[in-house]
Amino acid sequence: MSNFLNQIPALPVGDAVEKVMDLFTNTFSTVFKFIQTDGTALMDSVTNLLISIPPIIFILLVAILAFFATGKKFGLAIFSIIGLLFIYNQQLWEQLMNTFTLVLFASIVAIIIGIPLGILMSKSTLADNIIKPILDFMQTMPGFVYLIPAVAFFGIGVVPGVFASVIFALPPTVRFTNLGIRQVSKELVEAADSYGSTGLQKLLKVELPIAKSTIMAGINQTVLLSLSMVVIASMIGAPGLGREVLSALQRAQVGNGFVAGISLVIFAIIVDRLTQSLNKKSI
Amino acid sequence: MRKRNYLLSSIAIGASLLLAACGGGSSSEKDDSLGKINLAYVEWDTEIASTHVVGQVLEDIGYDVSLTPLDNAIMWEAVSKGEADAMVAGWLPATHAAQLEKYGDNLVNLGENLSGAKIGLVVPSYMDVNSIADLKDEAGSTITGIEPGAGIMMATEKALEEYPNLNSWSLLPSSSGAMTVALKQAIANEEDIIVTGWSPHWKFASYDLKYLEDPQGVFGGEETINTFVSTKLEEKAPEAYKVLDAFHWTADDMEKVMLEINDGKKPKDAAADWIKENQDIVKQWTADVK
Repeated sequence: MSNFLNQIPALPVGDAVEKVMDLFTNTFSTVFKFIQTDGTALMDSVTNLLISIPPIIFILLVAILAFFATGKKFGLAIFSIIGLLFIYNQQLWEQLMNTFTLVLFASIVAIIIGIPLGILMSKSTLADNIIKPILDFMQTMPGFVYLIPAVAFFGIGVVPGVFASVIFALPPTVRFTNLGIRQVSKELVEAADSYGSTGLQKLLKVELPIAKSTIMAGINQTVLLSLSMVVIASMIGAPGLGREVLSALQRAQVGNGFVAGISLVIFAIIVDRLTQSLNKKSI
Repeated sequence: MRKRNYLLSSIAIGASLLLAACGGGSSSEKDDSLGKINLAYVEWDTEIASTHVVGQVLEDIGYDVSLTPLDNAIMWEAVSKGEADAMVAGWLPATHAAQLEKYGDNLVNLGENLSGAKIGLVVPSYMDVNSIADLKDEAGSTITGIEPGAGIMMATEKALEEYPNLNSWSLLPSSSGAMTVALKQAIANEEDIIVTGWSPHWKFASYDLKYLEDPQGVFGGEETINTFVSTKLEEKAPEAYKVLDAFHWTADDMEKVMLEINDGKKPKDAAADWIKENQDIVKQWTADVK
């Protein structure tokens, strides 16, 4: 049996993927170049803008936002002030702002792509059947693998970092949007139909408002996943806290690694609680 | 509903402050800047030292320098594509032969910046073995390596193939930092350990180590570290090109910087200190700059 198996030559899957990638890279090189140059310029200017805000004002803004977003409770606001002051004190402020920009862009792009895809899947069984396995594939493929095409397409720096993060973080938004809309009760949809609402009205006035909390939960997951990926993206030159973590790892500096790691945790908690609190709002 | 108004107003305050900050102008760039230079490097102790020193020298003559740490293969690719302008981390002839072959056509080789470098398998002096050919089953038949993409890892894999006594051995990838930690632990406990080593490196100053002889010549002889720049650099930043071309120092110089960094000094500060103390050498690098 094993003899028979050994007679099958190794299928050239890897070579085929390389060829397709090369074709892709060459065909769309102008588009990629454009996205890379303009994307980098845009993100750099956002980062510079964030850095130019005096940290103390930035921290107070976050605290005020946290205070009102969490229903006038002091918990998260105080945590934000202490946490962000700690990051500033450890001279990681600039890195934090870089990471913030990356997460912001990756999340926005993932949401812009993800919600329409989710709506499409909820409306069409065919799309659902096609996209589901692709999402499974995206979520189970190790995140590091996305760094390879990202470099081929967009070189090094912030843009390939966002590209890899979007692929990695997209699925929850798509899945939860799909799920949320599919869970809207049939009676309500029928009622909307009987009032003669158009498909678009039904979507905007009935389905999306009812599915909102599920969709927001998906977005929250996407934001956190993109945060974990922008750290890995530092391997291809994305700046930010991830670079500090990687450098500490490569140089085996426990202390630096811990400080950068804890800064990421603080940032993640603030982002997580803020996006969750948006979800609790009464509509 | 009221909560919502609070949220909106706080967002409005935030936005207006953002705009105010915008109006202030985020002019992080110096007016007298000669332009931007992006140096790529790998977080190996040698390259952290050299890249920070060169970067600081370029800063001093008026460039806006950013240093980008990358994986080895990606560093080569980035410079060959012009994503990064230059790197001072090409180990030749053996260590990075594969990368040079793959990307060399799109790079400008500005020659060596350090000679007398070496790679090989390194063990603590208390181990009885002196040659790779004499290894049997020391250290659990495992060689402790560094990042999987490093040239020395490829050379070591080749050694595992070429030496018949190593055919059941394995090479364990980790990182340069983790390798030195493992080395430190093993020496503290007087245990056997074999690591992928290279010099110049501070580990030779800190511990009593020796290279294993390499009768098959897998790791090559003496290595040089070379400077490679993107094909566009000479046109884009002629002064930086001149400095990178002239950049050359000794293993002793490099080890001074490495030791300081290893003792906890920030790479940027260690580089600046070295530059301050070695103005005569730095002046040679910047001699042709207008």
